[in-house]
Amino acid sequence: MAVSSVTVSVEPVLESKIQEVKLDGQEIYVPPLSMSENLTKLAHKIDFYKDESDEKGKPTSEGEKDEAEEKVLTSFEQPSWVWDSVRNKLKAAFTEMAVLTDVLNIIKEKRYMVADPVSQDQPDNKPSVLLLAKKRGLVSAGSVLISGAERLKRSHSEHSNRAQDDYFIELLKIRQNWRLKKVGASILGDLTYKTAGSRFFQGGTFEVTKIVDDKTDTSTSHSRGSLEVIIPSELEGVAYIQVEVKSVPEMMDLTSVTLKMPAGLGVIRSDAYWQNKLEVAQNVLFCKELFAQLAREAVQIKSSTPHIVVGNQIITNAFPGIQLSIVLCHYTGKEKKIPQAPQKLEHNHVLEHSLHQLLREVHFKNINYVAPHPVNAMLGMSKRRRLAGPQGTSRRELVEMNVRDTLLEQIIKQTKHAVLRLRTMHVLDELALCIQDPQITAHWSCLNSSLECSVRINITAYGYEAVRSSLVLIIEVDTIQAILKDSRTITLSFEDKALQDLILWQISQHHIQVVQQLAKFHAWTVVSTNFNVGVGDIDLYGTAASLMMASPKGDKILAFRSGAYNKIQMYLKEIDPSEVVDTSPAVTNPKWQKIIGTFQAVDVEKLHGKTFSQKVDMVMAKLTSMS
Amino acid sequence: MNCEPLKEGSFKPLQLQPGYIAQNILSQRDKLNRYHSVYYYPVPEGKSGQQVVDGIQKQIELLGAVKTGNFCVDCETFQAGSGIQNTPQRQVNILHSSEQPASCFAILDTGTCLVADALFDGLMQKLKHYYQQRKGSKIESKGQRYEYGDFIFKVGSVSQASNFKGILIEIEYCPCVVAGDCMNLMKEMSQSLLGSAVAEQQSSFLKTKTDMIYTPADTMSQYLEHFNNFKKATSVNQAMNR
Repeated sequence: MAVSSVTVSVEPVLESKIQEVKLDGQEIYVPPLSMSENLTKLAHKIDFYKDESDEKGKPTSEGEKDEAEEKVLTSFEQPSWVWDSVRNKLKAAFTEMAVLTDVLNIIKEKRYMVADPVSQDQPDNKPSVLLLAKKRGLVSAGSVLISGAERLKRSHSEHSNRAQDDYFIELLKIRQNWRLKKVGASILGDLTYKTAGSRFFQGGTFEVTKIVDDKTDTSTSHSRGSLEVIIPSELEGVAYIQVEVKSVPEMMDLTSVTLKMPAGLGVIRSDAYWQNKLEVAQNVLFCKELFAQLAREAVQIKSSTPHIVVGNQIITNAFPGIQLSIVLCHYTGKEKKIPQAPQKLEHNHVLEHSLHQLLREVHFKNINYVAPHPVNAMLGMSKRRRLAGPQGTSRRELVEMNVRDTLLEQIIKQTKHAVLRLRTMHVLDELALCIQDPQITAHWSCLNSSLECSVRINITAYGYEAVRSSLVLIIEVDTIQAILKDSRTITLSFEDKALQDLILWQISQHHIQVVQQLAKFHAWTVVSTNFNVGVGDIDLYGTAASLMMASPKGDKILAFRSGAYNKIQMYLKEIDPSEVVDTSPAVTNPKWQKIIGTFQAVDVEKLHGKTFSQKVDMVMAKLTSMS
Repeated sequence: MNCEPLKEGSFKPLQLQPGYIAQNILSQRDKLNRYHSVYYYPVPEGKSGQQVVDGIQKQIELLGAVKTGNFCVDCETFQAGSGIQNTPQRQVNILHSSEQPASCFAILDTGTCLVADALFDGLMQKLKHYYQQRKGSKIESKGQRYEYGDFIFKVGSVSQASNFKGILIEIEYCPCVVAGDCMNLMKEMSQSLLGSAVAEQQSSFLKTKTDMIYTPADTMSQYLEHFNNFKKATSVNQAMNR
């Protein structure tokens, strides 16, 4: 039985060429050619101008016929193979390529053929053309630059003319330096030191406004900018604190002080730059705060010396006869009384600077607490106070820890120290000038503070510097501590006479020490030295020193005595061995003969020698007999 | 401490033997440490504590001392709540002194002493779940303070929960810091003031510390010793009265 057969379909190969493959994978087929299109395509392939002689010869029998046929068909030739012409052209091309390759290979070998560049004709240098070309180029470059410059000029002129931009830039600058706040429609700023720790009641709020400038005068507008600040009235003007230390007659009553009129310092111009204005106003505020603090302390604090606060002046006595005055000079420019001539004011710049620093320290302490900052204990205690508990500190020490000096007390202490230091310097310089014989040199220590400094005084004899007396003076607030060579400490008061006495006394002791040294050189025997002589006239200050020495042979004895205010006295005893005194048989040793005799005073002034040590040196040399 | 045995049928007021807390602390004038002696002064029979105190004060004033204020030393006891039954209960005594107002002394029953800031009380409060305060354990010595040259006298009457317990006298010698150096001097001073019986008191605690620098903690240890003696006396009393 015939099984149902497989259907076999015959179809032409309908493979159309793909014209395009789209990006999404879709293939676009070339539409199959219709019959007329196909015919056109084939007709194009016919080369009607082709020579039939190129074609392959056909067999003769057919050739004649064909020739005739071919001749007939010469007008439109049907090529035997459509690719013939292509093939021929390719062959020709290939031949030419082969020839070229051969030639290049031969040239490469350089034996039979060489390649030389073909000299080319120089192009005609037509200068006029060149010139024209250059000119054109320059003109175009020039025009580019000019357009750029014009743009810049335009923008610059716009920039300088536009007041609106200027104002904002100035505002930016002022915001960088000062704290500003926008309140409603106005901009307010803060001049005070509140964020730096000040607790002053006076406020310093200034206002920032825009200037509407109609003037075309560029010189003034440049200096002002387009921003104006309005300072509160109480901070107008210029202020400074003046500290003066002067000596007044002791009997003068503190209440009869002279009031000062602040000298005209000059006011800040109303059209000054806002930064200058604000800085000056802030300075006024600072000076006011400083003076208010000092005045409050002067009135409230009970101290041993009374302080007087009169108007803008605080006056107090640092030492009896030395007055310290602190004046707040605030010149607002509205005063009716103008001093005839600005008085020359004595400023103590160091103390003024100190005052400023002290107030800043107060501000700083208000804000910055000492680390650590515990949550459960009190803030702001110093390390010593915090350790007071674990160390079992007694009550007395805790009280001492708590005591802190006020601003006024601190500045008075500094003043006292400055005065004392100056006085000491003065005394030392005067003494060094007056007394030439032992030289007095003072070496001031470079490590010092505002309340303490030290100086080392050396007393040396010229030419005999091996012996040097030195003492150290530590100058404190009220007193001077003198540490002598043998570590004795003497406390001197602020009177300069006390220091003078001490140094003179040290000088007198130094003389004896030098003579002691000389005795060593001359081989004289020092019979006795005494630095605290208890016999003779009482000296005005200190104790006298004495020395007795005998010559090597024992026949000459020199004795010295020197005191602070007495001139040094020298005595000589010459023992003549020939003088025989009745010797009793009890005296067995001849040395006992030497204790007889009287001393004679020697006039030190008339001796040869510039200094005392030279004189003694010479005397000892003369008296030493070798025989 | 010796107590006379109570005879049957009689009721005798207890005689407290003098207990001395002698600490001779020599302290330099400007330094922290000074030598303190704490002596226990017996209250003789028939007199009230106040009378004795007045008497001693008068004596001191006659010497020429200057009254410079009051003083107060108090002690609280905390006990560690024992979770484990076998371990002995740990006690911490917290002492305060008006002479060192910034400090707080914590002394364990082993003798270790900690000197801390006054905020230590707060810490003990935080630890109250572990360290419970013994009720009625607060004992204090309060009185006058006299200064006489290099010496400082403190006459204090001891009371616990407003019950008078006894008298403690503290003598301080300022210039010396080492205990051994001025023990004899202290003995002499206390002898003249309080009588030789009292002056012979010698703290067991101090015997080991004669060559070391004296510290305020040592004074507090002396006080604690005396306070403990007073407490023991009370408890013995109570035991005997039953």
